[in-house]
Amino acid sequence: MAEAKPASQKIWLISNDNATMEVDRVVVERSMLLKNMLEDLSHTDITQDNPIPIPNVNEAVLRKVVEWCEHHRNDPVTTPDDESDARKKTTDIEEWDQKFMQVDQEMLFEIILASNFLDIKPLLDVGCKTVANMIKGKSPEEIRKTFNITNDFSAEEEEQIRRENEWAEDR
Amino acid sequence: MVTRMGMPPVPNREDINATWKYLEDGITRIMTDLEQGMDMQMYMGVYTAVHNFCTSQKAVGLSGPSMTTSHRGAHLLGEDLYNHLIQYLQKHLAALVQSSKSHTDEALLAYYIREWNRYTVAAKYIHHLFQYLNRHWVKREIDEGKKNIYDVYTLHLVQWRKVLFEQVSEKVMDAVLKLVEKQRSGETIEYGQIKQVVDSFVSLGLDEADPSKSTLDVYRFHFERPFLAATKEFYQAESKQFVAENSVVEYMKKAEMRLAEEEERVNMYLHGDIAIPLKKCCNQALIADHSALLREEFQVLLDNDREEDMARMYSLLSRIPDGLDPLRTRFETHVRKAGLAAVQKVQSSEGDKLEPKVYVDALLEIHTQYQGLVKRAFNDEPEFTRSLDNACREFVNRNEVCKSGSNKSPELLAKYTDVLLRKSTTSIEEADLERTLSQIMTVFKYIEDKDVFQKFYSRMLARRLVHSNSSSDDAETSMISKLKEACGFEYTNKLQRMFQDMQISKDLNKEFKEHLESYDNPKAVDSTFSILGTGFWPLTPPSTHFTPPAEINGEIEKFVRFYKHKHDGRKLTWLWHLCKGEVKAGYCKNSKTPYTFQVSIYQMSILLLFNEKDTNTYEEIIAITALSSEVLDQALAVILKAKVLLMEGGDKPGPGKAFRLNYDFKSKKIRVNLNLGGVKEAKQEEVETNKTIEEDRKLVLQSAIVRIMKARKKMKHTQLVSETINQIRSRFVPKVGDIKKCIEILLDKEYLERLDDDELGYLA
Repeated sequence: MAEAKPASQKIWLISNDNATMEVDRVVVERSMLLKNMLEDLSHTDITQDNPIPIPNVNEAVLRKVVEWCEHHRNDPVTTPDDESDARKKTTDIEEWDQKFMQVDQEMLFEIILASNFLDIKPLLDVGCKTVANMIKGKSPEEIRKTFNITNDFSAEEEEQIRRENEWAEDR
Repeated sequence: MVTRMGMPPVPNREDINATWKYLEDGITRIMTDLEQGMDMQMYMGVYTAVHNFCTSQKAVGLSGPSMTTSHRGAHLLGEDLYNHLIQYLQKHLAALVQSSKSHTDEALLAYYIREWNRYTVAAKYIHHLFQYLNRHWVKREIDEGKKNIYDVYTLHLVQWRKVLFEQVSEKVMDAVLKLVEKQRSGETIEYGQIKQVVDSFVSLGLDEADPSKSTLDVYRFHFERPFLAATKEFYQAESKQFVAENSVVEYMKKAEMRLAEEEERVNMYLHGDIAIPLKKCCNQALIADHSALLREEFQVLLDNDREEDMARMYSLLSRIPDGLDPLRTRFETHVRKAGLAAVQKVQSSEGDKLEPKVYVDALLEIHTQYQGLVKRAFNDEPEFTRSLDNACREFVNRNEVCKSGSNKSPELLAKYTDVLLRKSTTSIEEADLERTLSQIMTVFKYIEDKDVFQKFYSRMLARRLVHSNSSSDDAETSMISKLKEACGFEYTNKLQRMFQDMQISKDLNKEFKEHLESYDNPKAVDSTFSILGTGFWPLTPPSTHFTPPAEINGEIEKFVRFYKHKHDGRKLTWLWHLCKGEVKAGYCKNSKTPYTFQVSIYQMSILLLFNEKDTNTYEEIIAITALSSEVLDQALAVILKAKVLLMEGGDKPGPGKAFRLNYDFKSKKIRVNLNLGGVKEAKQEEVETNKTIEEDRKLVLQSAIVRIMKARKKMKHTQLVSETINQIRSRFVPKVGDIKKCIEILLDKEYLERLDDDELGYLA
């Protein structure tokens, strides 16, 4: 098991496009993947010359993710047990996170994918909620426009889906 | 600048075979060679490969904002990976089973533990590396209610159990048991190994219904069961042999040691869950199987006062269900016999002149002895105390001395109390007195006929108070409050009232004296009066007429006037037979200081006649005092014996005799006590007391019956009888026949009526 390390311990990460960055260990540990790895490989020295490789994530996205982790460094760690349904169902997002998510769509999806890869549950939730809020209250046509989706349903298919989901419509 | 040279090439995300090949290398490294360490590149590589594979088809085109894919549903990939992992584990474990066959006993234990540790550490790593699979595919499968899908770590345990454990657990257990037997035979063993085996077995207990919870089923079946069986076998054999070769006492020591050892064993290296069944198993083999033998020995130990060994036996037998009952029965019988023997001993050596103290001391000695035994050897256990109480109640109420009359025990106890509380030359220290009174109460607790004690006690208390020869008010009060505590307010009510009467009388005398002085009318005689409430004192009016002498009569008249003035309408009855006084004799030639005679008032009235003339005839005395001849004879007898008066002719006073004052009276003492009616009087009183007991009991029974019926209105005959017994038991043990008689009396008196169906009704 990992020995108690000072909160100020430094960790170096390297993105898949070779950008190295220095981050506090507590910040890195927001990622369950990296937290487990730091524990499992507790004998490995992590230095500027031997940083943790983060495949699948480029510098721009990684910096964004680290920024989020920095801001939330002191949040209580959520365990699977207290992940209440209420938190999942609400689409409320705290103010800082809302601002943080004001990025272009491509970056938004990159953040979601990166947080899924790095196993940062709260960030993944915030990302998905942001997307959900973009969909909320929009007609299918508007949604298609928002996400640049081509309608590949035939007229019959569309009619059938409408019938099946009639119960859910606002009247 | 750091390059990505160390990063292994992560295979194509869609190619399961290439991906698996890549993963397999990593897993094998972890499984077999983790000591070599693992670098971050590899760790990340394996994780990424899992991630990439699981996201492959869904995530096509993830680099663009467009979400147009051919898969619309939430299709999660991972089953292939999961199955590959299972196959890998099965192969790996099969190999371990194979190589385990070359080990036996302790070597096998070491092998099992080594491989177990390696495997579980690896499982933790792989669990982390496959976290993406856990988080998505496994979670979804479990959420959907699929059976036999586990997170990756649990999967490792499941496979270990299925493939390896099934095949080797029995052999491992054999090795464990051999090791334990070695230790039981006195060898030193490496018990840390056993502890690790226990931990491993416990870890394998997975709740089939909910894999996130663990159960002890596997451990209980594969470890506890054989362990207990071996323990039982070992101790059955050992104890059988030991008992055959050693004394019972030695065996008890051995068993005690073994039981402590097994308890220690649980703490040392077993799971806490086994503590209770192991204890049960040992108790059975070491104690219950030999309980008959132990109990046989108990009598021997009792007879020889082997306290320490009895304590040992107690603690052993207390461990098995119903282990102590036979001991209690034997103990009770033993104490009863000891008590009866002690009473018989004092009875045969003292005979009819049995001193109350000797008798009570004999009872107490037995009680003290066995109460001590209960405290020291039987943990002061309430059940044993009850057996002691039962035995004591038996021998206190039904013994050799009581044969002549069941009232004997309470009577002797009351008499002993009287001896203690009476003023005497050999009075004891206050602290000792208090302790002895407490001991009296110990015996009192066992007395069944508490009403008899009360009778005797109140008579003797009355005598002590009237003759003011009680040793101390404090001791009297203390005794009364003890009785009150034991039997309640009603039991001591009269005793307390008697006490109060004496206090009131004291104040009254003071007032009377002041009253006389205020009239400037000094008292002719120095007198004290006691006013005793009729209902509370066990006293009867005198059996004779009596005219008090003039000297006294004046005083009495003054007092009566004073008292009637204070309490109008009260009737005063003079208990002459309890009055006494002192007279000074100034006529004796042989002494310069006058003698003082302590006399009863009857004697006083006789002696005062000789102030007028030196000779009085029997008839003259009767005429003036109005005493019956019986009482007069008794009073004269002592006076004549002391030669204060001389009788002419014959040895018995009677009609025709004359009495002359003896001027040559001589005595060594200045104070001469002539008031000695004692012995005969006391005997008579005793007989009388016993006679009234039966009468009083009938009244007590009747009033109890009426009380019950008043409350219940209707009651079955048998119920009424048992309820009556219940209410009266604290006073005495009523006979059913007596109760029935009392019910008949109450029917006659029309307090009760007969109803149908054997029922009785209350008539208001």
